[in-house]
Formats: sequence, C-alpha cells, structure tokens
Amino acid sequence: MKKAKRIPALVAGATALGLIASGCGSSGGDEGGDSDTPIAARSIEPQNPIIPTSTNEVGGGNIVDELWAGLVSYSPEGETQMEVAESIESEDNVNWTVKLEDGWEFSDGTPVTADSFVDAWNYGADPENAQLGAYFFEPIKGTTGDGTFKKGAEGISGLEVKDDSTFTIELKSPASDFADRLGYSSYFPLPESAFEDMEAFGEKPIGNGPYTLESWDHDVEAQLKTNPDYDGNRKPKNGGITFKFYTDPEAAYTDVQSGVLNVSDEIPPSALSTFEEDESIQAINKPGPINTTVTIPDSLEHFGDDKEGKLRRQAISRAIDRKTITEQIFEGTHEPAVDFSSPAMPDASKDVPGNEVLEFDADEAKKLWAEADKINKFEGKFELGFNADGAGNTEWVEAVTNQVRKNLDIKAEPKPISTFAEFRELITSRKIGSAFRTGWQPDYPSAFSYLASVFGTGAGSNDGDYSNKKFDDAIRKAAAAEGKKRNEDMTKAQAVLFEDLPAIPLWTRNSYGAASADTSGFEFTWQNKPAYHLIVKN
Amino acid sequence: MWGYIARRLLQTIPVVLGATLLIYAMVFLQPGDPIVALFGEKPVSETARAQIEAQYHLDQPFIVQWLLFLKGAMVGDFGLSYSGQPVSDLIARALPVTFQLAFMALVIEAVLGVIAGFYAGLRRGKIFDSTMLVVSLIVIAIPIFVLGFTMQLVFGVQLGWVPPTVGGNVTFTNLVLPAVVLGLVSFAYVLRLTRTSVIENLGADHVRTALAHGVPRTQVNRRHVLRNSMIPVVTYLGADLGTLMGGAVVTEGIFNINGIGNLAYQAILRGENPTVVSVVTVMVLIYVVMSLLVDLLYAALDPRIRYV
Repeated sequence: MKKAKRIPALVAGATALGLIASGCGSSGGDEGGDSDTPIAARSIEPQNPIIPTSTNEVGGGNIVDELWAGLVSYSPEGETQMEVAESIESEDNVNWTVKLEDGWEFSDGTPVTADSFVDAWNYGADPENAQLGAYFFEPIKGTTGDGTFKKGAEGISGLEVKDDSTFTIELKSPASDFADRLGYSSYFPLPESAFEDMEAFGEKPIGNGPYTLESWDHDVEAQLKTNPDYDGNRKPKNGGITFKFYTDPEAAYTDVQSGVLNVSDEIPPSALSTFEEDESIQAINKPGPINTTVTIPDSLEHFGDDKEGKLRRQAISRAIDRKTITEQIFEGTHEPAVDFSSPAMPDASKDVPGNEVLEFDADEAKKLWAEADKINKFEGKFELGFNADGAGNTEWVEAVTNQVRKNLDIKAEPKPISTFAEFRELITSRKIGSAFRTGWQPDYPSAFSYLASVFGTGAGSNDGDYSNKKFDDAIRKAAAAEGKKRNEDMTKAQAVLFEDLPAIPLWTRNSYGAASADTSGFEFTWQNKPAYHLIVKN
Repeated sequence: MWGYIARRLLQTIPVVLGATLLIYAMVFLQPGDPIVALFGEKPVSETARAQIEAQYHLDQPFIVQWLLFLKGAMVGDFGLSYSGQPVSDLIARALPVTFQLAFMALVIEAVLGVIAGFYAGLRRGKIFDSTMLVVSLIVIAIPIFVLGFTMQLVFGVQLGWVPPTVGGNVTFTNLVLPAVVLGLVSFAYVLRLTRTSVIENLGADHVRTALAHGVPRTQVNRRHVLRNSMIPVVTYLGADLGTLMGGAVVTEGIFNINGIGNLAYQAILRGENPTVVSVVTVMVLIYVVMSLLVDLLYAALDPRIRYV
C-alpha cells in the first residue's frame, strides 16, 4: 500500500455492475469535451525516481500509473480487465501462465515481451536494488518474506520465460485472485534500455501506457502527453495531463476555484464543511478505500489473547461513537466502519456476523468492562499512539480517548509521537507499549487485501502480532476459492476477527476532491484517485 | 577595508562548521528510523536496508557522516536526495526564486517603510503619523497567513488581477502579491524604526547647528536627518533579508512558490536529512554574507565608522 500518512484523496465504490454502465462503455460523444486540451491536476513532487518498483507514494504513483500499462488494469469501480495480457490462467491457483497480447510497444518503439516483465520483476526483487515496492513479489516462489530474493541469486526462481509472449509464475501457495493483483505498479514491465542506466531512466521513464512523460520540471510540474500508440482499456479523452506540484492543498483548492487548476484530489481542512455546496467547483464525496483502525497488541497487559482481553477490546469498541466523530470532526467525509475492509471494495460485505460490536452502546461497554474487571482488575490507563506530525490525527485521537474515558470511566489518553518515522520505528520494533493507530489502503480491489497481509500469522504488515489458526485457515481457503465460495470464506475470516478484535475498525476515509467548473468526466476510482484519463475540459 | 573583508570571510568558516555540526547532531539525535518510514507499512528487507544505509552513510557515526558531508560540500557536491537528484540541483532551482521574492519584498518594505516613516517622524503627532502607527500596529498583529489568504482571495480569486498561485510561472507580476504579503510585516517595523530614529535625529545637535547656519529645512531633513536615521534601519533590513530568504515558508506555501524555505520544510517532513543539512548550510552562508554587506554599508552611511 502507499504510505497511509501522505495519502491524498479518493475513490469510489460502485459494484461490478455499476462500472460497466458508467466507465468504459460510453465513447465520450455525449460529453462534448475538448479532446486535444491537456488538463491540469494537483499532485506532489515524486519522492523517488519514476521506476515502477521504487514508487510507493502518491506523487510518483500518479505518474507511474498513467505512463504504464500492466498485465491487467482496473476499471474505476475496481473490476479487473486484461490489458497487456491476453490471458492469465491457472488450474491450481499456484502455477500461472501469462500470455501477452500482440502489438504492445513501449513508447521508444521496442516491443513489450515476456522478458520485459520478468526482467523488471527481477530488478524489483533484487535486494541490492533496495526497491520500495519489492513486497509485492512476496507471493512468488523464490522470494523471502519481504519480497526480495536471496542476495546473489539470479532472479526470482518462480518466474520462467517460455517464449517472447509467454511466461509462467509459480506461487508459494494458492491465490485464486493472483491475476487481480497484477495491475499494481510493482508488476509493470520495463524496456531493455532501462537496465543500461536505471538512474537516467528514473528521470526520463519510458512506459507503454496511455501517456508519455513530456517533461518533468522538479518541484513544479510534470507534463504528460497522450500516447497515440496506446490501444488499451484507458484511452485518454483529454490531450494530456499536467501534474502541478503543490505543497499546500489549500493553494490547490484556491486554484480549482479560480479555474487555474482542473482537478484536486485533496480538500483542505478549512473547506471540508463547505466544498460540497461550493458552486464554483464540482465536488465528489463518496466511500473510499482507506480505513482507520486501532491496533491493540496482544502483548499489552490486560489485552492478551484470553477472555479478559476480548471483553476489554469489545468494551472499547462499543464505547466509541463513530457516527458523531465522522460527522463532527470529519464533516461527513468519513464513514463509520462496518467491517475490516471498505465499502469501496467490490466484494465488501456489510453483514459480517459479529459486526454489531462496532455499534456505539455505552451501557453495554460498561458492562463488558466490568465483567473483565472481575477477572482481573484494570488499573493504569489506556493510551492510543499516533503520529502527531500534522497528518490530521490529533483531533480524532483525542475524541476517541475522551469517549473511552467517559464511557468506561477509566483513564484514557492520546499518546502523540512526533514523527511518522519514529512512530513506525516504535511499532516495527514492538516497543510502543500501547494501542496505536493503523490504517490500510488496498493494493488491489478486493477486501482480501485488507485481511491476509494485515492479520495473517507472521504476515508482513501484522503490526499487532495477531495469530489465530481459525483465521489463517479461513483466509487460506478463501485464497484458493473463487466467486461466492471465496466471499463466504472471507466473511468467515472476518467473523473470527470480530470475535478477537486484534484491531478495532473505526471508519473509512471517503474519496473526496474537486474539479473546476469547466470540466466534465470527473470521477474517483477505487484506488482513491481521480480517473485522470476520463476528465476533459469543455 | 580589504583586510577587514578577508577577516570577516575567514570568520565564516567556524560559523559554517559549527552550524553544520549542530544540525547534524540534531538530525542524528532525532528519534525514528527514516528507512522504516520510507517503506510505509511494508516490511523492509535487510539487504535493502544495508544498501540504503550505505548509500546515505547512515551506518556511520554522526561525526563521520558530518565529515563526509563537509568533504562533498567543499566541491559543491551535497549528495543525492531520496528521489535520486543531486541536492545541489534542488538548491540551484529554488535559490533564484527565493532571491527574487526576497528582494522584491525587501524593496517594497524598504521604500514604503522609509518614506512613510520619514514623513510620520517629521509630522509627529499629526493625522498622518497617527494613521501610520495604527496601520503598522494592525499589520504586526495579524498573522501572516491571515493576510496571505485574504489577499489571495480578494486579488487572486475575486478580482482576478493576479493568478492566485505562482507555481512554475515565476514572473515579476506573479510575485508581486506574495512579495507584498511577505514584506508587509517588515514594512511595519521599518516604518516604526525610521519614525523613531527621525524624531531622535531632529533634536540632535548637528541638525540644530545646520538649521542655525541657515541651511534650508528640506536639505537638512534629507542630508542630515534621513541619512543618519538609516543606520538602525539598514541593520534591520540586512538581518531581515536573511529572514526573508529562509523564513518565507508560510508565504511560499500559500502561493505555491518553490523557494528554499519550502524546500527545507518539505525535506524535514520527508526526513531527507542530506537535503535538510545542505539547505540549512546554504541559508547560513547567505545570512553571513548579508550581515557582512550590512556592516560595510555602515561605512557609507556614517563616515565616523572605518574598517581597518
């Protein structure tokens, strides 16, 4: 996932059916926009070179996603569509065969072959290259838990090129949705020229996607031009995208109001309560993919993996009035959680057994806490750790701890940690010694992305060291199943989580942003970003 | 005088050494692991960690990091930012923008401040003087971001006289509004400083003597009152130029200007220590040079001051 701290905004949550109606089909004839004019969109200066496997934040991600086409692409609603791949097939969900469609080329004219993918992935997984997106290769055989292969190995052993347009992937364990994951930027191909001088390539990247990079004026803007040779699922309706870099979302919003900027994927806090009524802009505010949870590590005294711990977790969850906080602090731009994923996922479920624990009930909370106190009296205080570095956490953390204090009649306090770097270090070294803020943005459009890598025993982002065999079994079954069966297994896995509450879901952040009045086609994708290629100036 | 300049320049060496050492120490003592933050919520491979640590010398004790930095800085090599660009390029891009903005703000505050302060001082207690005192008090009392947002809304969005933000189009017209906002607070100080100084000098012996000799009032005011009143003002303006260069973070944010203040601020947020240290070093150098220039200006204003 992209770093939760810096995420700007957006996406959308329609169902699989909705997407066919709105996104791809209509050829834009009804919109009457100007297909030659480029649009200007807010972004931030990329923090890493523009190499797909080294990009893990939104500034670089915006550009990478428009410059490249992966094996699959996603519709704005989160449906997987074949893009460079003609087919991705497997009989056992472990051994996958990828066949590429003919005719794909990089914008330098060289063909996109099986080697373009395998070499790019091997580059990304080579620990010597220290790529930030290496984690995505973790499911493939021949990588370690962090997605890299052993130092000195020639590449990922689970990858094999059969011919120019075919390669195979062997996984460590069955994953029925593996093809759905392949639209993430870490899986994008690289042209041969990239490997000659990756440093130079990161400045002047060459992709195979809907746009090409015309110029990158550091700290100012990146100009993207439409790629006339692109014939994939995301054909641009505009003449290009200029990503203008803003350090302050306030300035970007002002520019959208005055029409200088066409799209901002972020709304400054000062405008949250007014932007939907602002007539000088077009506003979007709908369920998004990023969730917020409070993780309580098992190792915390009174919150262990036993009856007392479970009662206390339930009591805290019941003591939090999510609705009031989303309305008053977030001005209606967040939705109270109903499960461990997000309503923006096409396969999310509203009816997971046990999710009534997310409903506010002060009396029930007190009762549960008192029951736990009978087992072992609670003295001391409940603390909630968070990074207080201007990322907008302070207000809601205070509200949550206030509610816990008031409704359970215990000591509860925010535990501010000054920087994100220190916060993450305390968590990864397991030294934080309190409950702490966690959040997740999915890597591909499925509720599954919120479960396995966060709550699986020993999983890479399992910051609370949660481990439950029942959950692991259910999630393993879900990974190997498809369709309805898969959804049932995921629901079972979530039901286990609702019993144990390794983390307490709070809310999901909506996708919200603004477009200038003179544009049409503004919408958010499941990835919490505007579908830039669909926006046109009138 | 050249000997004086040479000595002053030599003095900058310990200043820069001390400042960078201090910054390095602070950055080093700062809790948190920048590499963990770089990977977000994803696990970090040990080999990758070693690779990044070696690249940015993070595995070295801080005194070694500092010496390596100094070695590079001597030849203008400030290392690479996390995005793989030479930090010297980042600075070279941001510095001209900041210079332009700071000088425009300086000219605005100096010209308006001195003129208004001079007349207010000459007409002490009259309506112009009282008005200026109230205006400057208001300007000093209002936080700069309030001034910035209000002027941006009025002149940029509603009236449309200037674009609301600057971004990549760094032109004179685009910078006028931010420069006014940036210079406004200092304008108030310059005004008050000039006024007080003028009032003081009006009562000075040499002014009375000149008047008694029959020198015309306007000439006395210009040659003796104004010129002598400039010494504290020039001191202030010199120090202020340094502040304008480094301290324009708020204004640069409001108007989306890619100056040196914004560069430093962003680097701090991202935990990009090499960039932070380099930018601050450049700021220290600017400050030192500015204060040298101010000291030299004294001699031009006051013949009693001589540098040997």
